[in-house]
Amino acid sequence: MAENIKNDTTVNDHHGAFRSYLLGLVLSLVFTIIPYYMVTRQIATGNALLLTILGFAVVQMFVQIFFFLHLGRGPKPLYNIVFFFATAGLIVLVVGASLIIMDNLYRNMSPQELTTRLAQEENIAELNGKPTGACQGNNANHTVIIKDNQVSTRHISAQLCDTLVLTNNDSSDREFVFNSQGRTVSYGGMYNIPVKGGRYKSITMNEIGIFSFRDSKNPEVTGHFEVEP
Amino acid sequence: MNDSLAHETLNHEAAADDRTMFGFWVYLMTDLLMFAVLFAVYAVLRDSTFGGPTASDLLNPDLALIETLLLLTSSFTVGIGMLAAKQLKKDQVMLWFGITFVLGIAFLSLELYEFYELIHEGHTMQSSAFLSAFFVLLGTHGIHIISGLLWMGIILVFVAKRGLTRSNVRKLALLSLFWHFLDIVWIFIFTVVYLMPFIGV
Repeated sequence: MAENIKNDTTVNDHHGAFRSYLLGLVLSLVFTIIPYYMVTRQIATGNALLLTILGFAVVQMFVQIFFFLHLGRGPKPLYNIVFFFATAGLIVLVVGASLIIMDNLYRNMSPQELTTRLAQEENIAELNGKPTGACQGNNANHTVIIKDNQVSTRHISAQLCDTLVLTNNDSSDREFVFNSQGRTVSYGGMYNIPVKGGRYKSITMNEIGIFSFRDSKNPEVTGHFEVEP
Repeated sequence: MNDSLAHETLNHEAAADDRTMFGFWVYLMTDLLMFAVLFAVYAVLRDSTFGGPTASDLLNPDLALIETLLLLTSSFTVGIGMLAAKQLKKDQVMLWFGITFVLGIAFLSLELYEFYELIHEGHTMQSSAFLSAFFVLLGTHGIHIISGLLWMGIILVFVAKRGLTRSNVRKLALLSLFWHFLDIVWIFIFTVVYLMPFIGV
């Protein structure tokens, strides 16, 4: 008797289950082909399209969960659903937090951002032609012109945050290095400052003290500067 | 008397089946977490191409669409096969799971073809962080497909030899769960890996 009842319900179940699989297949196909066409035919662009196709993927996931896995159908498998949603929560945390953290890391630690920050700490006002936000307002120019291996100004008195402009009016390329108290040091954030023939380089005077500059290819081209607060 | 005893045994076995299914479900959820981590890695590294070709230069959404349709259909046929298994129709089980097996092989062949093309053109796992993440994510899914196909082959041999015993039907039910699960993971691979790079800005 009990067996008979069970058999009857299974026959009905099978009919319903077949329709459920068929419906699941049709919906899945639709939810696959729509985003594919939207992307390949460029029906929309940017974030709107991104959110749309992700939305289709999530909807299709639920379609398959309900029509293929039959999760939540029938009285028994409540634990399955609990476990599924717990996992879904963990996934949102793992994927979402990873993306947020890595995006922040990228924004704050990208080579460009790092260089700008170092430049600010070193009081360098200008980097690759862009202001860094450091040493603003107080910027007298001290120009040194080098022509025929002669330096126009051998001694410069400057204040912190002034700019030193090394102008190379000869055709040969030069590479300047800095010295302080007999040691090679970096200045303006750099150890070597290459200046091609006919060009100039601006350096923010970012450190207090007495320094000398010298062309490493021609030691006679030299001078010194004193930077006061 | 005998009837009710038999019925009780049946109930016991049904409860054991439910426990097995739940245990397998728990495994699937942990597997899903692993895929989630691989997706996170891919999402973070997808632009880190080390100056090399990007996802939109290398990947082919048309091929991926065919793979998706193959896998979707196989998810459907595995469901129909499972219905036949519950009705203890052996021939239909062999037919529908056989079709699923062939669709799985076709999917795997396309994936391996894509891998072969990429590696042949010098775009290997070592080329860039993007390609490392790509091959690991896709490769992990592919290994799951291979395991599923091996498993399916073994169960079909069992079914052919011993018929649809309770144990064999339970194995088929676990396998169908596994196969639907792989299809769901693939939907996200299709969307994130194959469609997202082609969104115009």
